[in-house]
Amino acid sequence: MRKMLAIVSRVLTGASQKPAGRVLLAARNFANDASFDIKKCDVHRLEDEPPTTAVLTREEGLKYYKIMQTVRRMELKADQLYKQKIIRGFCHLYDGQEACCMGLEAGINPTDHVITAYRAHGFTYTRGLPVREILAELTGRRGGCAKGKGGSMHMYAKNFYGGNGIVGAQVPLGAGIALACKYNGKDEICLTLYGDGAANQGQIFEAYNMAALWKLPCIFICENNRYGMGTSVERAAASTDYYKRGDFIPGIRVDGMDVLCVREATKFAAAYCRSGKGPMLMELQTYRYHGHSMSDPGVSYRTREEIQEVRSKSDPIMLLKDRMVNNNLASVEELKEIDVEVRKEIEDAAQFATADPEPPLEELGYHIYSREPPFEVRGANQWIKYKSVS
Amino acid sequence: MAAAAVASTARWGRVRAGVMEAARLRCQRGGSRLGRLSVLPSAAGDVAQWRHVAHFTFHPDPENRQYGQTQKMNLFQSITSALDNSLAKDPTAVIFGEDVAFGGVFRCTVGLRDKYGKDRVFNTPLCEQGIVGFGIGVAVNGATAIAEIQFADYIFPAFDQIVNEAAKYRYRSGDLFNCGGLTIRAPWGCVGHGALYHSQCPEAFFAHCPGIKIVVPRSPFQAKGLLLSCIEDKNPCIFFEPKILYRAAVEQVPVEPYYIPLSQAEVLQEGSDVTLVAWGTQVHVIREVASMAQEKLGVSCEVIDLKTILPWDIDTVCKSVAKTGRLMISHEAPLTGGFASEISSTVQV
Repeated sequence: MRKMLAIVSRVLTGASQKPAGRVLLAARNFANDASFDIKKCDVHRLEDEPPTTAVLTREEGLKYYKIMQTVRRMELKADQLYKQKIIRGFCHLYDGQEACCMGLEAGINPTDHVITAYRAHGFTYTRGLPVREILAELTGRRGGCAKGKGGSMHMYAKNFYGGNGIVGAQVPLGAGIALACKYNGKDEICLTLYGDGAANQGQIFEAYNMAALWKLPCIFICENNRYGMGTSVERAAASTDYYKRGDFIPGIRVDGMDVLCVREATKFAAAYCRSGKGPMLMELQTYRYHGHSMSDPGVSYRTREEIQEVRSKSDPIMLLKDRMVNNNLASVEELKEIDVEVRKEIEDAAQFATADPEPPLEELGYHIYSREPPFEVRGANQWIKYKSVS
Repeated sequence: MAAAAVASTARWGRVRAGVMEAARLRCQRGGSRLGRLSVLPSAAGDVAQWRHVAHFTFHPDPENRQYGQTQKMNLFQSITSALDNSLAKDPTAVIFGEDVAFGGVFRCTVGLRDKYGKDRVFNTPLCEQGIVGFGIGVAVNGATAIAEIQFADYIFPAFDQIVNEAAKYRYRSGDLFNCGGLTIRAPWGCVGHGALYHSQCPEAFFAHCPGIKIVVPRSPFQAKGLLLSCIEDKNPCIFFEPKILYRAAVEQVPVEPYYIPLSQAEVLQEGSDVTLVAWGTQVHVIREVASMAQEKLGVSCEVIDLKTILPWDIDTVCKSVAKTGRLMISHEAPLTGGFASEISSTVQV
């Protein structure tokens, strides 16, 4: 009995001494890295393939986990803020697709260029902007990355060209950025992303042709989340092999829920483009948990069971976590700590985004043209004038 | 409100100030059903500094019994009714566009696929240029094509097809071929939260193109009659539906088909001091302005709904201006090169 009391008291005192506990964790031996088998990618017009094994170091794993968890929590916070009507307008959420933005970023350099469509919050973060600026842009405040004037669909960062509202319009732009990369000769490439719905737009094929003709260092990436708004891919496309749609452009089909698979495929494609062989097409097979936008419940064209199945079997964060824990790259507690950190960061950012003032009305006319000196812009009637400064 | 003023007598100065004052008072009154009213008064307290989410009061017309039994419908229901009548009457009529099969993002085509079959009401992939090009082909071959562009903001990839192919078909083939059976429908205008790409009013771009007709209704009763006329009309027509009115505008609308003639403007309210012209949602705004001007300033306004932008009813507007001597036009689109400039320059000549 006394022995049991002693054990119990030791356990209780042990539980209250948190720092000591943390020291214990750090002292535990983690592996430095581990090698994983990843899914083989289908290829089109290619002799080589991306590798089927990937090495993940502990440091990388923790980094990817933190970034993906941040994107996930940021999107969920945006959902919450939208339902509270603090965010208005349009909001297209990226949760479920975190492995795509993380894997792509891991496969390229910060000096490479990225352009995507409107489901852009994840990329805005991986391209380097802090969460508070992203959330403040969503709430339309002056602390936002586009000064509160762009909103959800128009977020930009260094070497990240947005954030584009019109479906498919960003793809020829991406080909143009790739042309500039080739012209400048700094060994940079451009990732041009679009969705399965946009894959049927005519201008995409125009961009394919130009990129292939002039051997532009452009990776065209189709984020296939199986639904273009409410239309499933089978009902929209004559060929759902999006990685083959570039025809004369070589393509790879990648498991977009596995961050390592995306990373290896991106490295492979980036090396191909950098060597001057021309563009490549990547299809990332991924899934979004939310509907198309906040006004779409997301269950009228797909079943809740399907969403649940993907969440339980292929969730990208869960996959990474399981891999790391099972291969002794990290412990569950450590990852939980990261979760807590991330939650706090998001809370702070949401606080900022809610409290920051809106841009002043004087700035309504700014940045229409680039013109010196400032000029006047007519408002809603000819007696209202706004100053336009650029 | 965009405005183009004509004539500058001393009285006009007072009238102009008066109508602007009425507009300012209307803005001040607030009362938004459509979102928060966020108002930032500046130190100067100028009307320019008032910011507000879109708000207006829909003015329904009195029930029109000359076309038979009526039913309470909002704008999207009246569109559905018009399309239903069309498909019933014309066996070659087909409806296509993005997401029209399940009913459309604004519910304008609800129930039609079940009623008429999937070969008559079908979805297209995401390709506006393809949709309109395809529609021109369908119409040239003699069928009635009713194409939907999901938002007027997305109509620009199809601009070439409309301006270069559809509008000029009859002319360039010497009347051998035409695509008169084509009607393009698109939600149009501001809705409060649409921002850059869900709020545009592109009628001015198309007004520059002979060969097509452009129509903008102000209410469910008008919409059904005008849409049926567009579908019947032997010229390619673009029918812009003010999206903010889809649910907000409710009226008694006849169940049977009826036709409201195109290119005829309607004088909604007679007046003697100034003519106010608008189309679509703005008609309701200027009606309110007209009543405020009368009430607070004793200014009698003649209110005209233009309805058809191209070809527009020059006679009605000019006759009205000849009577009142003053004209103010209000539209949502940008001022420069907006359709008001066409109206005001024609009236001044």
